[in-house]
Amino acid sequence: MSQRISRRDVLLASAGLAAASALPRFAFAQTAATFRLGSLCPVTGAGSPYGSGMQKAIEIGVAEVNAAGGAGGRKLELFSEDGQTKPDAAVLAAKKLIEVNKVQAILGTWSSGVTLAVMPLTDAAGVIEMNCSGAPAISTQDTKDLVWRFQATNDRFGQAFAVIAEKRGYKRPATMAFNNASGIGNAEGFKKAWEKKGGKLVGSVVYEPNRPSYRTELQQILAQKPDVIVTGSYLPDSTIILREWYQSGQEVKWIMPGWAANPDLVKALGNEVVEGLISVDSVSNENAASFKALDAAYQKATGKPVSTNVYAAMTYDMVMCLALAMEAAGPNATVAQVNAKIRDVANPDGTQVYSFAEGKKLLAEKKKINYEGASSRLDFDQYGDVTPDFGVYVIEKGQLVRRDVVSI
Amino acid sequence: MTLVDFCNLLINGTIEGLLIALPALALTLVMGVARFPNAATGDYMTVAAYAGIGVQALGGASIILAGLGAIAAGSAIAVVFYLWVLRALRGRPPVASLVASIGIAFFARSMLTLFVGHDQQTFAVPLVRAWNFGGIRLLPTDLYVAAVALLAMAALFALLHLTPIGRQMRAIADNPDLARACGIRSGRVLLALWAVVGVLCALGGMMFGVKAVVSPDLGWELLIPAFAAMILGGIGSPAGAVAGGVLLGIASELSVPFVGPSYKIAVAFALLLLVLLLRPRGLFGKAILAR
Repeated sequence: MSQRISRRDVLLASAGLAAASALPRFAFAQTAATFRLGSLCPVTGAGSPYGSGMQKAIEIGVAEVNAAGGAGGRKLELFSEDGQTKPDAAVLAAKKLIEVNKVQAILGTWSSGVTLAVMPLTDAAGVIEMNCSGAPAISTQDTKDLVWRFQATNDRFGQAFAVIAEKRGYKRPATMAFNNASGIGNAEGFKKAWEKKGGKLVGSVVYEPNRPSYRTELQQILAQKPDVIVTGSYLPDSTIILREWYQSGQEVKWIMPGWAANPDLVKALGNEVVEGLISVDSVSNENAASFKALDAAYQKATGKPVSTNVYAAMTYDMVMCLALAMEAAGPNATVAQVNAKIRDVANPDGTQVYSFAEGKKLLAEKKKINYEGASSRLDFDQYGDVTPDFGVYVIEKGQLVRRDVVSI
Repeated sequence: MTLVDFCNLLINGTIEGLLIALPALALTLVMGVARFPNAATGDYMTVAAYAGIGVQALGGASIILAGLGAIAAGSAIAVVFYLWVLRALRGRPPVASLVASIGIAFFARSMLTLFVGHDQQTFAVPLVRAWNFGGIRLLPTDLYVAAVALLAMAALFALLHLTPIGRQMRAIADNPDLARACGIRSGRVLLALWAVVGVLCALGGMMFGVKAVVSPDLGWELLIPAFAAMILGGIGSPAGAVAGGVLLGIASELSVPFVGPSYKIAVAFALLLLVLLLRPRGLFGKAILAR
């Protein structure tokens, strides 16, 4: 058999190569009439209790915008990938979204580790990044102002924890943090705020994900005899930690973020274990018309009220903000021009609007608008961060009962 | 570190090690007899654990019934994938089976999540306070977990050393050609092997689920520790897999007071490196000449 490469082969190969390199440009030119969104929600992994709902909310938002005739003369086109709550998997997915699907915005990254890993790619490609992550570093590493955060920073969560711990008269707090940017951010935010109030932590521990047991870590913390343990944790590890704590029999109170201490946690552990546990979460903008509209659509799509998934409200708002900014930027605006309009359509000093259609109408009349989201008032600061209020839920007989709302 | 702390850490490490030992045993059996690293081991565990959850959900069935359901599902999936996929790859290089097993792992997990979703599940095990012996805390659940793991291992060793089918498995592991020349029908033996592997995976998944939570990633996350335990113990050696698992568990827990919980896994792997440097075949492994 001859292994020689003939001239014809070379010609064929180079023709093929040329065609291949030209292809993406064809694809791009063909669909310039749409604005391409990439959804990168945590459908699997630690974020999986929320991921599917978040993706569903994005679909609801896209359908709403397209039904209203699109934004800035363009329809939205959605490409969905699973971030798997894992930075390595999410980076691959983001690469695919940016390079193959040519998306102009990536929405719905949830875990801070994922957002921090994806940001360099979106920044380099000049793509808008919208996330529900909490890590403080996201604010400072966002050099081009392309990153928008719809969740409170972990630092703000930590501050809220400290306000709550002080209000409830605790004196000897300790922290337990899941080893990632968000878990540690919560614990550090609490520590900073607590020490500013003149308090002292009796202990702190950072633990690894995916362990069958956290007895050793608990043992270290409980040995310091804290009166309350503040966590930066997720649902699976919180389930294991609380079960082992309860079995150990030592008295202590818990303050946990809402993404860990939710009805699923109660279901997993039973009422007795979680009695009196304090769950803190940013509160959706429950009285706003935008929230109610989303709730109806979300119930229809998933069978559950959207109050069961605070992140779904955030991802829905991402689509709304983006679409309103596109509308404000006008036809054929570049990504940068759209990006520059996001604060204009969401921040105060404008007529409050609660849906895309309402905003589109006012923008057409050249009025200034202020979108009030389903997730929060959505007023972005200079870092692209929002400050929602925090709900303080106490678990009583298996129900999360809201006892207080804290503003920081 | 006081003696009480030390004992508590030792207990934690042993229990965690026994949890790893079950999948490590399944891995090492396949490695010894069918001669490839079975990357689907973890997902067999996951499927079996969900089967247990399913049995329990059917009507508040007892944990024992759930366990039996898990065992049935575990051995069924292992045998089905053997007959369907892996049997056709016998006699090919091990990498073919390895890649196929990765495919099986993805397939099994995706099918599972299609039906059960991604929410975490838990076994309804009554929560009891730990027995407290002067600060040394012993959890009844942990004792059950340890008892089941030890019983399963005892049963496996009895099977391997006291029954004809076990002897045939060991014969194939030793020398497949000689075993065939002696008239051992490897097809039957491999069916038995995969059934046993399924049972081990099922028990591992069940015990992990009882102790922690059941999620679609349960088994996949355990795969690397199980591989480490198998390698530490010596590939193909069942006793080695158990020893390797327990040793890794204890080493990582005991290191916590010195290096903190964030680095305990690194300590376990440092131990693995050290053992392999001094004894490349692992603790109980036989030196094998590569052909």
